Amino acid sequence: MGRPKGFDEQEVTRAAVALFAGRAYDGLSVDDLVTGLGVHRNSLYKTFGSKRGLYLTALRWYLANEVEPLLARAAASDQPRSVLLEAGETLDLLLLAAAEQAPLDAEVGALIRTTLSRLDAVLGSSPANELLGERLRARLRTDDR
Amino acid sequence: MATVSIDGESLVVEIEGLDKLWALKSRLVIPLTNVRGATADPGVAHEPKGIRAPGAYIPNVITAGTFHLDGEKVFWDVHDARKAVVIALADEKYARLVVEVDDPRATVELVERAVRR
Repeated sequence: MGRPKGFDEQEVTRAAVALFAGRAYDGLSVDDLVTGLGVHRNSLYKTFGSKRGLYLTALRWYLANEVEPLLARAAASDQPRSVLLEAGETLDLLLLAAAEQAPLDAEVGALIRTTLSRLDAVLGSSPANELLGERLRARLRTDDR
Repeated sequence: MATVSIDGESLVVEIEGLDKLWALKSRLVIPLTNVRGATADPGVAHEPKGIRAPGAYIPNVITAGTFHLDGEKVFWDVHDARKAVVIALADEKYARLVVEVDDPRATVELVERAVRR
């Protein structure tokens, strides 16, 4: 099946990561995705099959290309917790996915569980929990409204 | 209105009642290997549907039958846009099915669980 013209799948995937990191999965309608990603509705369906297909593609990309390198950097550093805290927003989709979709969707759950095990291996499980809690609360402080 | 179910290795879409008349179909059976996913998408009904052949189209009342758009065939059976589910297909006569179901969330979950990714 040919790729529709002017549709960069990688770019759309990365943009989807940003959208899903900012708002809950259920909170984003297909209309929101079409507007936010700047693609045709039918192109989305042709390329990703469904909203869930887009989400899983985005989540896998994010975990492999944003989270894994971050964890590797943290593991190599003598201040792994600082490395992770400074990365700030990078952890947000992981937090959201863990809170919202992981309990409902077996595939998402498996991906998140694997990543959290990796985080536990880097920090230790209690510090990992603390870090996630800290990031969760840090998200609140960026909102002045 | 349609009922979507899984029967062994197939997705079965049963068209209900009088819609059979307008959609000119009473059921569709699609091998699961050709089903790419399902999405609850109320907004799909607001987009251009293409050329109707054959079927029925009265805005906000009924969209049923086969529509041709951008070289693709799309099957529609929708009255209430709020309950529309888009089922994307591969290697089938139809590129997509857009059907109204009783419980969009449950239908999406049923189909997505049956689809291998």
